[in-house]
Parts: sequence; structure tokens; C-alpha cells
Amino acid sequence: MTTETTTATPPVSALLAGKGRGIVDRFGDRALYVLTLAAALLSVAIVLGLAYKIVDEASSAFSTFGFGFLTSSDFDPVKGNFGAADFIYGTVVSSFGALLLATPISIAIALFLTELAPRSSRTAIGTLVELLAGIPSVILGLWGIIILGPFLNDHFEPILHAVLGWIPLFGGQYGLVGMFPAILILTIMTVPIVSSLTREIFATVPPTDKEGALALGATRWEMIKTVVLPYSRPGIVGAVILGLGRAVGEAIAVTQVIGNTAAIHSNIFLPADTLASKIANSYQGAATDLQISSLAYFAVILFVLSLIFNSVARLLVRSVESRSRSSG
Amino acid sequence: MISRKSILAVACCGVLAFGVAACGSSSDDSASGSSSSGGPLTGAGSTLLAPLMSKWQSDYSSRTGNTVTYGAIGSGGGIEQITAGTIDFGASDAPLTPDQQKAASDVLMVPWALSSTDPVYNVSGVDDGLHLDGATLAGIFLGDITTWNDPAIAKLNPGTDLPSTKITPVYRSDGSGDTYILTDYLSKVSSEWKSKVGVGTEVKFPTGVGGKGNDGVSAVLSKTDGAIAYVGAAYAQSNEFDQVAVENAAGNFEQPSLDTISAAAAAVKSVPSDNAASIVDPPKSATDAYPLASYTYALAPSNSDKADALQEFLTYAIGPGQSYGPDLLFAKLPSQILAADRATIKKIGG
Repeated sequence: MTTETTTATPPVSALLAGKGRGIVDRFGDRALYVLTLAAALLSVAIVLGLAYKIVDEASSAFSTFGFGFLTSSDFDPVKGNFGAADFIYGTVVSSFGALLLATPISIAIALFLTELAPRSSRTAIGTLVELLAGIPSVILGLWGIIILGPFLNDHFEPILHAVLGWIPLFGGQYGLVGMFPAILILTIMTVPIVSSLTREIFATVPPTDKEGALALGATRWEMIKTVVLPYSRPGIVGAVILGLGRAVGEAIAVTQVIGNTAAIHSNIFLPADTLASKIANSYQGAATDLQISSLAYFAVILFVLSLIFNSVARLLVRSVESRSRSSG
Repeated sequence: MISRKSILAVACCGVLAFGVAACGSSSDDSASGSSSSGGPLTGAGSTLLAPLMSKWQSDYSSRTGNTVTYGAIGSGGGIEQITAGTIDFGASDAPLTPDQQKAASDVLMVPWALSSTDPVYNVSGVDDGLHLDGATLAGIFLGDITTWNDPAIAKLNPGTDLPSTKITPVYRSDGSGDTYILTDYLSKVSSEWKSKVGVGTEVKFPTGVGGKGNDGVSAVLSKTDGAIAYVGAAYAQSNEFDQVAVENAAGNFEQPSLDTISAAAAAVKSVPSDNAASIVDPPKSATDAYPLASYTYALAPSNSDKADALQEFLTYAIGPGQSYGPDLLFAKLPSQILAADRATIKKIGG
């Protein structure tokens, strides 16, 4: 056996320098491969198993109602008529409403943390924002119904109604629970996700471009507007869509503040209901098999929506990352 | 080549797992040596029953050493779980529908407590004891009556100053026995309700706002001026909500109390073969009866492999357990129900 001699002996050469391989070493790599493959396959199996099970459960509702389920506005357990239209409307309005509010806030937070905050405070503020993501949804829902709901009802909504009441969106009466508190709760839940992803994306902007703009005399805002934002646009869209995926699926916090009333209104102060919230409410006590199957049909709709949002989001975020790698 | 650190890590995990397993099993062995032939039971269902059930749980365990675990997930959940066989007994304020009975063919219903669902309200300017009758209640929950100073309400309350506040009906958004009791009553007093909405643990309420569970409804009610809701009697009492005085068939306005609930139960002497006795809207002869009283049922499978434990717990519940009822507004079970219960309990275990 030849012994390699170097001035600083790294640990590896100790192995090469004559020690034999034990049984663990010889099969270790293969075992590692098998174990990690098993873990990956397990997660695939869970997703496929989940999809199969809910489609199977929804099949009787699908054969009874077909695609008309998606446009029917009736949810009557006594008469056996079920339809998802009110809930799809509620899901769409609450999620997109939340996104409309969350996107500017998240971009602002990300900009502040990457460009404008003093370097020493960046970690602290960033951590606090991410802490928001860690608050359990039940607690947010409880806070919503005990504190946010009454506050909005007593102070905010009257003002909004007085000033903007001529728009159908804010017209009519308001109450303790409704679409508006639900939108605000969802905003609070999506801001941490969108802002932390956007931060990552802003960090990939090549510093040379930014410095170039500043060197040419641009103000901080002009640099952000002309370099950072255009560069990050696909990534921001991806982050927003990922946040949308979270908002669409949120059940517990929403069900406590949204009022659980299946209806389509243009007034966002009135109570409404979403797909996820209805499943959380009714699944456990569903009186008939057809109702259980209809709720599983809701789950299929949600599953499909989440798949679409997540796939589109990941493609967009990945395109930003590959661009930054190739140009860096 | 396995490092000392990894051996240590594996050893620690092993010790931890062993410790947890040991702790878990030791609690089963620590049953105080008692003269019971039964064992631990798991149940789930009615939230109306929950306050009484928690008293039963602690008393039963100190008497016999057996633990009864109960999840108050709503009557609908209780029915669903017992049909699926995931629990030992269910609890429901609503009797099984014919379809549900078909799916849970071996499940017996044992009425084991007697209470009521109370319409309660939160209207500033209106005190406790507002008079309402069946037709008006139906009108409110149907959305035909929209303000508290509506003529229909004013007619029943001649001396009271009613505000023009909007009425917000609050209902249970989950599968609920309280919803069943209310809709059973409203279907009997209003043909419009019967055809438009019907009876069930979950119905399509034409108007109003939903809350999850008795606590969810209580939260919305207490924070909304002008709200009217329906909650189990124990919740109405402990939250000190203003309760409606409902007009019964004899023309008297009654609030729920042990006397008025017992009077409703006494009016229905015959017990159906499946024990599902509906006592809402009692006949005119029951002059003091409260119109929204109801039994709540234990759902016990007749071929359960925990038959001994079930029989022991059910016998306890309809016997010594009833002494905890009055404080929580559960009235004593009348003799005809007790007799039917004893006969049904004997059937468990074949």
C-alpha cells in the first residue's frame, strides 16, 4: 500500500492510506440510496393515495350532480340538493381579496428588509414577520371573532360604509362576521409567506445592475423601480400564487369569522362561506352519504385548485432562480 | 465506522421511546381495584349533553375506576362515528333517521337525559322573558320578520318598548341536535317551515349567520346586538342569556325550567318501539309544558364487544348519574322512559 504524504493530512487520506472498508461502508451507499428512495416514494404514495381516496369518495356526488354541481347554488341537506357555486364564489373572493391586500404589503416588507432597512435590524424584523406564519390558525380565528370582528363592526366598517357606501362592494348592512374579517385574517396569514419568498427573490437581483443604476444617478426608488422590480416580476408572481394556495385552503380561521352562510353577495360585509370552511364545519356531522360525498367533491375542487396554483408558482419561481444562476 | 455520537443518539431515542411506552401502559394498570366488570369506553356526539357528561365521567371513574372519554363533536358527528364503528357509544339529541338506522342497523337508542333547546337573544333595551309563539319564531328564522319592533312581536308583548334593531338569526353551522330540536318544533308549528326548510341536524336556514358549536353560536350572539339564537339549556343558563318565553299549545308563555321540561315529558306517555320519543310542541293538556324540550339519546350497538362496560355505564347514567342533572337543567327521566331504557339496555350484548 502506498502512503500519500502531504503537509496537511485531510481525514480522507487516512481512509485511503491502507484501512480496509467495513461492511457498513461497502453497502452504505446502496442502503442510503434505498432509504432515501423509499422516503421519496412514500410522499408520492401519500399524495396519490389521498387523491384516489377523495375522488373515490366524491364519485357518488359526481354521478348524481355531474359538472352542474359547480354552478348550482343550493346546499340543502334535508332535500338532498348540493351545489358548490356559493362556496366557490366565497373561496375566490376571500382568497383574491386577501391577495389584493397582501401583495403590496409583502412587497413593501421585502423591499424594506432587502434594500432600505439598516443592516443590523434586518434579521430581527424579518424574524418577527415570519413569526406571523407560525401562529396557529385557530388562534387567529379566535382573535378574529373576539377582537377583530367587533372592532371592524364598531369602528371601521361604519366609516367605510359612510365614505364608500355608494359602491355595491361596501353598501348595505354590516355585522360582526362576514367576508371582510375573513379577507383580513387571510391577509395576515399570507403576508409572511409572500414576503419571505419575495425577499429571497429580491436577493437574487445582481448587485452590479443595482450599483450601475445608482452610479448613473438614480434615486433609491428609481433604482428599485427600474432594476429590482422588473427583474423580480415573475418571481413575485410565483410567490403571490403560492400565497394564494395557502389562502384557498385555509379552513379553521376562516370558518370562525366568515359567518357560514352560503350566499353570493356583492357586499363584502355580509356573511359568506368558502369550500374549506364548509368542509371543516359539516364533514364531521354530515347526515347523509350524499352530503359526505358532496363535501368530498368540494375537496376534489380544492385539490385541483391547489395543484394548479402550486405548479404554476413553482415554475415561475424556478425560472427566476435559473436566470439568476445563469447571469451571476 | 459508526461514530460514538450516532450510537449515543440511537440509544437516547431508544430510551425515550421505551419510557413513553412504559408510561403509556402503566396508566391502564392503575385502575383502582373495583367491583366492575366493564372497562374504558369512548364516546362522542351531542354538545347539549356535554356538561352533564363531564360530571358523569368523573363520578363514574371514581365509582368504578373506568374511564369514559367523550368528544363533544355534535349530534351529527356522534351518529356518523357510531355508524362507522369508531367509537363505543354515540350521543345524539336527534334520533336516527330511517336511512341512518338502516346504515347503523344494530344501534339501539337509549334516552338518557332530558333537557331542552332554548331560543335566546341579545337585544339592548329588551329584558329577559320576551314572549314569542311558534309562528313568530318560524317567521324570524324564515326571514319574514326582520326587526324587533315588528307588529307580530309587539302584539305578543303589549307592555314592552321594542327597538327597531335588525334581527340577526344565529344558527349552528355544524351537524347539531339543537338544530334538530328547533326544526322539529318549527315544522310542527309552521307548515311554511316544514315545506321550505324541513327537519334535520343540518338544514338550509333561509337567513342569518352560522356559528360552529354551542360555543361558536354563543360567541356571535353575545357580540351582536339584535341577535337571536338557540342553544342547549345548560349553555343558556351558564351564559345567562336572555331567554324567550315560548307560547305552548295551552296558550301559556313558558321559559325552560325543570318543571316545564318535566311537564313536556309527562305529556307523552307512550314510548315508541325504537325509544325515539319526540316531545316538542306538547298537546294542550300539558298546560305548563315547555315546547322545546327533548330527550337526548345514547347510541349503543347491540352487538358491541364492550357490552358489559356499556351496560354498566348506561345503567349508571340513567340511575345515580341523574342526580347531577337538575343543576344543569336536565330533568329527571319519567318512569315510562326508565322502564323502556332498562329493557333496551338488557338487549345490549345479545
